[in-house]
Amino acid sequence: MSKLSLKTMVSALAVLMTALIVLTACGGKNDNAQESSPAASSPAASGGASASAPAENVTLRFFSNLPDRKSGQGLAEQTVIDNYVKENPNVKIEVEALAEEPFKNKLKAYMASNEPIDVTMVHFGAEVGTLVSAGWVEELNPKDYEGEQYNFLPGVFKGFTFDGKLYGLPRNSDYEVIYYNKKLFDDNGIKVPTTLEELVDAAKAFRAKNIEPLSMNGKDLWSLALLYQNIAQRISGDQASILDATAGKKKFADDPALLEAAKWMKKLADEKVFNTAYMTMDYGASQNLFTQGKAAMWYMGSWEAGMAANQQLSEEFRKNLGVIKFPTVAGGKGKDTDLLAWNGGGYALVKASQHKEEAKKFFNYLMSANQWAKVAWDTGAAVPAQKYTLTGKETEVQKQLADIQLNATSTAGMTYIDASSAAYKDATQNAIGKLVTGADSPEKFMEEMQAAADAANKK
Amino acid sequence: MHRVLRDKLAIAIFVLPGLAFFVLTFVAPILLSGYYSLTDTLGPGTDVKMIGLDNYLELFHDERFWLALRNALLLGAGFVILQHPVCIAFAVLLDRIGGKAEKWFRTIFFIPCVISVVVISRMWLSLLDPTFGMFNKVLAGIGLSSWQHVWLGDPKTALGSLLGILIWAGFGWGLLFYYAGVKGIPEELYEAARLDGATGLKLHLRITVPLLSPVISVQVTLAIITALKQMETVFLTTNGGPGDSTQFLAVYLYNQAFAASRYGYANAISILFIVVCLIATYLSNQFIRDKSTEY
Repeated sequence: MSKLSLKTMVSALAVLMTALIVLTACGGKNDNAQESSPAASSPAASGGASASAPAENVTLRFFSNLPDRKSGQGLAEQTVIDNYVKENPNVKIEVEALAEEPFKNKLKAYMASNEPIDVTMVHFGAEVGTLVSAGWVEELNPKDYEGEQYNFLPGVFKGFTFDGKLYGLPRNSDYEVIYYNKKLFDDNGIKVPTTLEELVDAAKAFRAKNIEPLSMNGKDLWSLALLYQNIAQRISGDQASILDATAGKKKFADDPALLEAAKWMKKLADEKVFNTAYMTMDYGASQNLFTQGKAAMWYMGSWEAGMAANQQLSEEFRKNLGVIKFPTVAGGKGKDTDLLAWNGGGYALVKASQHKEEAKKFFNYLMSANQWAKVAWDTGAAVPAQKYTLTGKETEVQKQLADIQLNATSTAGMTYIDASSAAYKDATQNAIGKLVTGADSPEKFMEEMQAAADAANKK
Repeated sequence: MHRVLRDKLAIAIFVLPGLAFFVLTFVAPILLSGYYSLTDTLGPGTDVKMIGLDNYLELFHDERFWLALRNALLLGAGFVILQHPVCIAFAVLLDRIGGKAEKWFRTIFFIPCVISVVVISRMWLSLLDPTFGMFNKVLAGIGLSSWQHVWLGDPKTALGSLLGILIWAGFGWGLLFYYAGVKGIPEELYEAARLDGATGLKLHLRITVPLLSPVISVQVTLAIITALKQMETVFLTTNGGPGDSTQFLAVYLYNQAFAASRYGYANAISILFIVVCLIATYLSNQFIRDKSTEY
């Protein structure tokens, strides 16, 4: 080969490489340009009634933790989306929905890659806190959400506010109750428990009949942590104690109720109050166990109100579904009307959104009192974080849940696992897992809680 | 052509694309990981603050990390000590059966390897379910009710059960490699050995195993790496629980990065992870290399 051919080869290679780089770069840019062009011209459409000027077509990306779009909260969410699309035919809303744990993980991945989602579901406290520090979610003006149009209950923004700035709006009033299967209790002549001691007795009686007593999503760990907080409150009568210990305002050892509650957790596990396979059960599995009538009770939050209206569940189950307040402890200072309540789930706007105007319009529509709050309550899907009016058509479960909420003598406002950093949540959840499986003693558990709080408050 | 290949510039240009690919997809991420391991960042895009070697210092005192490493090494040992001898035995048996049966069994043994990990995990979760699972039902059926157990939900048996699942799931691959190795051993060697009086087990210990040593050496290295990297099945069945009893390196790393938002710390784990993998590869190579036999 001659010298010329070397030159040709080199230049051919160089051309190839450049072409490759240019093409990839252009490809990326092209995508962006196509996506963002409607947004650039959309401010014209944001004036409200878009009927006069034909608005540009926009596709919004919506990320949700409710994969079941046919019942409960998923249906309520989808209904609002459908309502909006009907009123705004130029807008398409693409829903991506994953189950709870995969949702949380993918949300972090989206945050890491600065994915241009428009509106996303977010969890309060530590979860949204990470998104805030990554600058992925948009700041909101609390003034915009005052008044009749939204009708939020007082104090519900707490878990979405960081350094006095608001980053999301809550969708539900969440509080822990025990759902139970009336038929299983009646048929076996077992008393519905009002104290933890009775809960243990009921569990023994159910075990004797080969029925799983209390279904628990132990693999996810957070339900166990909430149960622990609930019991500690029932012993001390103090909602703030565990939150103060979390914030480093006091030591865990200062409140003897916290150790006693840990002993109770151990006892509940040892007495086999939870379903047998609880440590490998995630949310869905524990719910199935209960809804299929194989477990007598389920420790879960008010957001599961929709079970009573869910046509996919057997009629027998729905008819026999009841709600009880979390039991008290003999000699404890907490009342059964003290509620472990918070506002956990919500929605946020994403900064990377390519259609900010349209996204905000939809977001405000979604959070209007006559949309999510009304639809969620009317369909019996959840108890909203906004004022709702009783229609008289509520299911029995809804009435009981509303009753529990309206008659609450005190509320926690936060769950301790979400009141600090994500690392604190991980460490304390891991500690509770070790406590119930007997790997750690209640005393060691207290040390681990203190160590987790110390590590979180050091920074 | 010779002149082209003698030209250093030309060589550099030819090597460049491959090198660039290697640097961008392999070296750069590791370097970035190393950088992030010295920070306390919560995730990409959040504030980055250098904290020096704090993450590594913490890592050396982190019981969960060492537990995860121990479990991964246990799995590696399980692969080498339990799975592979069985694989070799089955490979030899398969070779001896011959005919149609050989083809049938070859396919059957390989089935677990073509099933998706998600399906395998779900299947074992149902099989080992303490109340409704087949495993406990069978135990009850043959009069061993007292052996019934919450296999994956009890810290005492969770690790053992999980190792069982993983060893079962990886069996087909091991078998396939050894089977190919056995097929490559010339029949004359066996005939010669028989003439010298070797029979049965002795025949295989003296002929098959030494001649399989190149395959064994590769397989052992691969097994240890696979054990260290094990993630999916654990994540989908126990997620490291109950109470850390089935914590594995990759699962712990993932959960620290994405559940606990300790991105910097997770990167420190990943750097140590790479070091451990390299050491394991080096050791397993050293251990086996001098034993190889030629024919």
